[in-house]
Amino acid sequence: MAIQRALPAEGDQPDRWEAQLRKGAVEMAALASLWQGRLYGLEIIRFLESQSQLALAEGTIYPILNRLKAEGMLTSEWVEAEAGHPRKYYSLTDAGRQRLRQMAEAWTSFSRGLSRLLEPVVQQQEKTQ
Amino acid sequence: MTTEMQIDSYLTALRLHLGPLTIAERDEIVCEISAHIRDSAEESGASIETILARLGPAEELAKQYREGLLIRQASRSLSPLVLLRATLRLATKGLSGIVVFFLAIFGYFMGGGLVLTGLLKPIFPANTGVWFNGGQLVSSGTLFPAPAPPAHEILGMGYIPIALTLGSLTLLLTTFLIRRSLRISQQLQSKL
Repeated sequence: MAIQRALPAEGDQPDRWEAQLRKGAVEMAALASLWQGRLYGLEIIRFLESQSQLALAEGTIYPILNRLKAEGMLTSEWVEAEAGHPRKYYSLTDAGRQRLRQMAEAWTSFSRGLSRLLEPVVQQQEKTQ
Repeated sequence: MTTEMQIDSYLTALRLHLGPLTIAERDEIVCEISAHIRDSAEESGASIETILARLGPAEELAKQYREGLLIRQASRSLSPLVLLRATLRLATKGLSGIVVFFLAIFGYFMGGGLVLTGLLKPIFPANTGVWFNGGQLVSSGTLFPAPAPPAHEILGMGYIPIALTLGSLTLLLTTFLIRRSLRISQQLQSKL
């Protein structure tokens, strides 16, 4: 049962579509950034910027981290820093690791299939350029 | 306005708009965003205006925190009021949400009504029950005036356990259905 429409009504605008696509990827990207170990919010944002073209409105990431924590995917701890104020570090829980593995698997097979589908479109574009 | 004043006014607005969250949750969010602002300023040397602009308006940030909270809390609740509020929110999100909302209203109305008539039977024994006429259902519930003969009531005091059981089952089923729908919607939302 689809409780929610896949895209909002104005979803046929390309920039809106791209925004939705990015939004869908942010949760997975946030989990993936913690795969190697704990990070605090700003480090996660910088990591996503450097490792992918996932430039975000910085405010977006914090509510997502908050929700992932409420869902038991992440834990957090406050650590006193030299900066003079504490920082909130996030780490993956076992459930979070498992969810990320499932997401990575689904994402990889999904994007492989779509790339195949889009191959003729991309080739056509290269020829005309 | 000094830098400190700008940060303070942003954090105050954020705290204000986080209204429905608990005080502990609000404190933690404000503390984290405050650390973000200070770290960003140190790290990049960017102006405070730029840093706050990248975070987005405090009201918008708070809204993102609040979103999903109602539905998350409600999917663990048993209270009809909390559940109905959450289904109302669900109804604004699409057609299936509207269906769930009306099913919820219908379920609570039916279940509650049955339980109520079960409780009214001892007070209005002649006016509460299930009336038949020649093998055909005429009416049921608590009625003023009661259906006139030849329609006759068939259950007697047996109406009480039947109405209470059916009513409670309907209420339970409704609660279960709403919570299930809220969970599904949550999962869909987190995948979007």
